[in-house]
Amino acid sequence: MILLDSVTKKYAGDTEPALDDVSLHIEPNEFVFLVGKSGAGKSTLMKMITKEENPDSGKIIIGGIDLDYVKKRHIPGYRRRLGVVFQDFKLLPRRTVYENVAFALEIAGMSGKDIRRTVPKVLELVDLADQAKKFPHQLSGGQQQRVSIARSVARQPKILIADEPTANLDKLTTKEIIDLLKKINDFGTTILVTTHNEGIVNNLQKRVVTLKNGKIVDDQKTGGVYKLDEAPAPKRPARAVQTPGHALKTRRKVI
Amino acid sequence: MTNEAKSGQTKAAKEQRLKSISKKGLKTMQKNRNRHVVRNKARVVKYGTKSFGRNIWLSTAATVVMAITLIILFVTVVASVILTNTAEMMKDKIDITIYFKPNTSQEVLDELEGRISSDPNIKTVDTSTSEQEYEKFLKENENSDDILEVIDSEMAAVMVAKMQATMRIKVYNVDNLNSIKQIVETDELFTANTDKEMAPTYDVNQAEINTITSWARIARTGGIILAIVFLVISILIIFSTIRMAIFSRREEIYMMNLVGADKGFVRGPFLVEAEICGVIAGVVAGIVSYFGFEFMSPKLTKYGIDVSQINSILESNQLVLVFLVFIVAGALIGRISARLAVHKYLRKT
Repeated sequence: MILLDSVTKKYAGDTEPALDDVSLHIEPNEFVFLVGKSGAGKSTLMKMITKEENPDSGKIIIGGIDLDYVKKRHIPGYRRRLGVVFQDFKLLPRRTVYENVAFALEIAGMSGKDIRRTVPKVLELVDLADQAKKFPHQLSGGQQQRVSIARSVARQPKILIADEPTANLDKLTTKEIIDLLKKINDFGTTILVTTHNEGIVNNLQKRVVTLKNGKIVDDQKTGGVYKLDEAPAPKRPARAVQTPGHALKTRRKVI
Repeated sequence: MTNEAKSGQTKAAKEQRLKSISKKGLKTMQKNRNRHVVRNKARVVKYGTKSFGRNIWLSTAATVVMAITLIILFVTVVASVILTNTAEMMKDKIDITIYFKPNTSQEVLDELEGRISSDPNIKTVDTSTSEQEYEKFLKENENSDDILEVIDSEMAAVMVAKMQATMRIKVYNVDNLNSIKQIVETDELFTANTDKEMAPTYDVNQAEINTITSWARIARTGGIILAIVFLVISILIIFSTIRMAIFSRREEIYMMNLVGADKGFVRGPFLVEAEICGVIAGVVAGIVSYFGFEFMSPKLTKYGIDVSQINSILESNQLVLVFLVFIVAGALIGRISARLAVHKYLRKT
């Protein structure tokens, strides 16, 4: 579903790469936490997936599509296949909850009739059916994040990526959001969440991928726990984890 | 075949398959997107209209300036047309009038007409005998009973005997009458028959014509300069309006891009917003210009200015066309300005 093969990205002016030879394979319907300190490369990795940034080298394949072939004109269509949840919600402030969710469907060209049928269902899923007419500023942080999630899942994407979705939320609300993501995952959506929150990582016991200095230093496939502080410093050349992507790379090296 | 070669072939086949799958997926995405073009365009118009409402004060300011620009453009065109027409009308009124002795016969007048007509500057020549001049006099004064009352048959006979036969000439070029003057002053038949007490009249209204022609030129040049200045101001104001709208919605635009809004979806509403400003400005400018002209028209006519051409346009079906020109011009100014702003500030989206 998500395959990164030896992806390297270095921003102009930086001495060290933001991502250094990163390979990662996420299977369909997986729930993966991507953990790491600030500057570890989590956001860069997310930006690669959303095609905000392009890698300097390596291959990224998302949902069967090699991003090398995604030209500028394809980007909107490609992004509509993903669900994206932001740390700061990024809701349209002058639109109601209903309109925010409907917007994601409008840009996909869905008919008005289908939108009117879909939005209430999605709002019900995130438990916001009774808040449809409110504006974002009238909602709590948790509610705003649920609107953001509703917007991202309204088009029923196969992949949902969430960049620090609980960073601005309290403990209880964080649990609600993670439960909601878990529920969406149960419906068959592959989910990739970046987080600093040790509690939710340890509580959910899902796959945990740890990034450090632009490298994957740990990949706990199941029952993963947050052990960022214990993660070893990457050695160069690093091969922190053997993934199908690495296997591919190995074959290429042979060639 | 070596293992390395086999591996290379497998790799190439895999790459090819991946490329094929990717391209197929992307093609489907494009196809899906193209299926909803009309619906998407309608939504862009909806967003643009809402956006116009949200920025009502800025939009109003931009609309007013654009309306002023369009009115200035209209005034420029109208002033240029009516002043040029007036100058032409006055040129057309010019008669070189040559007076001949009373009772000059029609045959002589015909001969004189034949001689003067040989000059290439002659447009028309009209001659009339003393009797015809008298008839003209009566016709011109048919409503003046006090004049007609005093003319009895005896007086009529005196008048006919005293009235000069006349030749009225219209020329193509009023600036070059020398050749005609030369014929009138040197041709024997002319010198023998011209009335020595009434000299021919040349260059009538020439000074006025020159003045009006120069005003027409000034109106045209000044109007164009003024229109360009206001056009630039309009474009700058719309540009700034759109720029401010873009800056105030930067986060929103970023989010729209990330959730997969097409370029047209992100940029379209800004263009629509500016076009709405332009269309409203066009309608306002059209209405103001129409009623302004209706108000001014009688006053201008009183001063001898020829407004007939503009009047005939405004009173005919062409009025709709004029309004359309206003609206299209407004929309065009709006679109160009917004395009500039969008191109400059949303290039990366």
